[in-house]
Amino acid sequence: MNVPRQSERIVTYLTDLEQAAEEILTDRQTIIDYDRKRNANRESLRHLKNSSEKKTWIAMGNNFFKLEKVAVEDMIHKDQVKLDTSINEIRDNLKKKVDRVRDIEEKPALKGYNLKPLNSDEMRGLNIPQAYQHH
Amino acid sequence: MAASGVALPEVKEVAFLERIGAHSHIRGLGLDDSLEARQSSQGMVGQVAARRAAGVVLEMIKDGKIAGRAMLLAGSPGTGKTAIAMAMSRALSTDSPFTNMSASEIYSLEMSKTEALTQSIRKSIGVRIKEETEIIEGEVVEIMVDTPASGTGQKVGKLTLKTTEMETVYDLGGKMIDSLMKEKVQAGDVITIDKATGKITKLGRSFARARDYDATGAQTRFVQCPEGELQKRKEVVHTVTLHEIDVINSRTQGFLALFSGDTGEIKTEVRDQINTKVAEWREEGKAEIAPGVLFIDEAHMLDIECFSFLNRALENEMSPIIIMATNRGITRIRGTNYKSPHGIPIDLLDRMIIIKTVPYDEKELKQILKIRSEEEDVEISDDALAVLTRIAGDTSLRYAIQLITTAGVVARRRKATEVGMDDVKKVYSLFLDENRSMQYLKEHQSEYMFSEIGGGDAPLGSKSEQMEISS
Repeated sequence: MNVPRQSERIVTYLTDLEQAAEEILTDRQTIIDYDRKRNANRESLRHLKNSSEKKTWIAMGNNFFKLEKVAVEDMIHKDQVKLDTSINEIRDNLKKKVDRVRDIEEKPALKGYNLKPLNSDEMRGLNIPQAYQHH
Repeated sequence: MAASGVALPEVKEVAFLERIGAHSHIRGLGLDDSLEARQSSQGMVGQVAARRAAGVVLEMIKDGKIAGRAMLLAGSPGTGKTAIAMAMSRALSTDSPFTNMSASEIYSLEMSKTEALTQSIRKSIGVRIKEETEIIEGEVVEIMVDTPASGTGQKVGKLTLKTTEMETVYDLGGKMIDSLMKEKVQAGDVITIDKATGKITKLGRSFARARDYDATGAQTRFVQCPEGELQKRKEVVHTVTLHEIDVINSRTQGFLALFSGDTGEIKTEVRDQINTKVAEWREEGKAEIAPGVLFIDEAHMLDIECFSFLNRALENEMSPIIIMATNRGITRIRGTNYKSPHGIPIDLLDRMIIIKTVPYDEKELKQILKIRSEEEDVEISDDALAVLTRIAGDTSLRYAIQLITTAGVVARRRKATEVGMDDVKKVYSLFLDENRSMQYLKEHQSEYMFSEIGGGDAPLGSKSEQMEISS
């Protein structure tokens, strides 16, 4: 019987495609959440630098703690470093996931994104017009 | 066998208005997924075998599998050789460079033949590189700058940026405040700040703020509020050709020369340096070579020195794919006294994949004429089309195509909406084709200047094209 097998194949194809796409969308949302946290941390650090009090309130989960300012700054710094690494990791993995989706859709893979980036001196030697130009 | 999705043809954005040229109706090779040529598709009609062969070559090019090979499109005039090359170039897109040249362009007084060939070859080799920057992109909610009353203190400021998902406040230092003032950034502008260089770029004004003012300047562009995270990683992949890199590095005002066209000779040392640099980048994983296609039309016009040069060039590992087209039969190789098929030496022919194009049959001619008349915006009645098809069969396809526009003008003159049989007959009588022109000449030769009665000069080339070229 050809008909059930064909519709089965369509279902499998669509499921694969949806799963792969869903992963990408989840990753993007995670990056956005991390970036929000990053910015919040940055604003807190800025505020702490400007304030002169020795102790400060910090909320962890549902609880508020009053801690030494130095300790709090340290904690936030560490958090920032973790966030930065996580975001970069997710961005790197995103490329593989996008390639997988394009593979399922039978589109050719995007070329060149796995290259190492050139630094600004090398770019200047090639004199490529920038994407956004505003004079 | 896995279920396959529908591959939709890519819609290319038309960035500029194209003139209607002889091959502007061609959008692609018109092949289906299994590389079989459809009878009429994407502007190509008939010539099924040649199109299939071209499709196979195209796949190999896309896979990067045949660097340094050569292909020859051979066939009588008006059988679609240049059309197939155009179709291949459209199908390759911006990934691989496609250089279209005619062999006679090599003979220029300003450049030696080898320099012209080297430039054309290097124009067809692309280098893929990636540029990566971290940027902060958002819509300005407000800018607050405090100028200290004493006049000697540092300015302090706060910049509130938002995207559709988040909003945050940035503390600004003196230099950043100066840049923002210089760019005249206001609330409602969508800006990009490069994290590495601190450069500020205004992308436009947010749509949400379009109603703020009743009149905006001529330069104002409205853009959407950016989505996603504020700090983005922007990766851009560029493909530059080796020739462009040569030009930029060979003189101080390099990029101006790209526009003016003639670059003069580029020193070998410059080229060697660039080759080394690109090889270095390849080792480090910073660049990829994308060999493209060099299409040489009228390849029989190349002489034996050029052919030897091409032989050698093909052996280079970075060489592009060279596609030649010719409509000559067994002709003398330019620069020698030897005859050879297509006027190309046998050792080069040996390396080439040869694709034959055959003359069109009547149905195909009719189809092509229909497509051309649509392209040139000329309505043509069915019986006029039939007459035109017969003319194309008797004379040549190109002559019939030229009659389309001229008949269109005649029809417009008599205020008709479509071209009729009489219009076609009228232009047929007004404009001679090759054979009739030759007939007329034979009869009235004596009336023309410099003709010798009863002897005459060499006959003009007819369809078999056995022209003697004096070097």
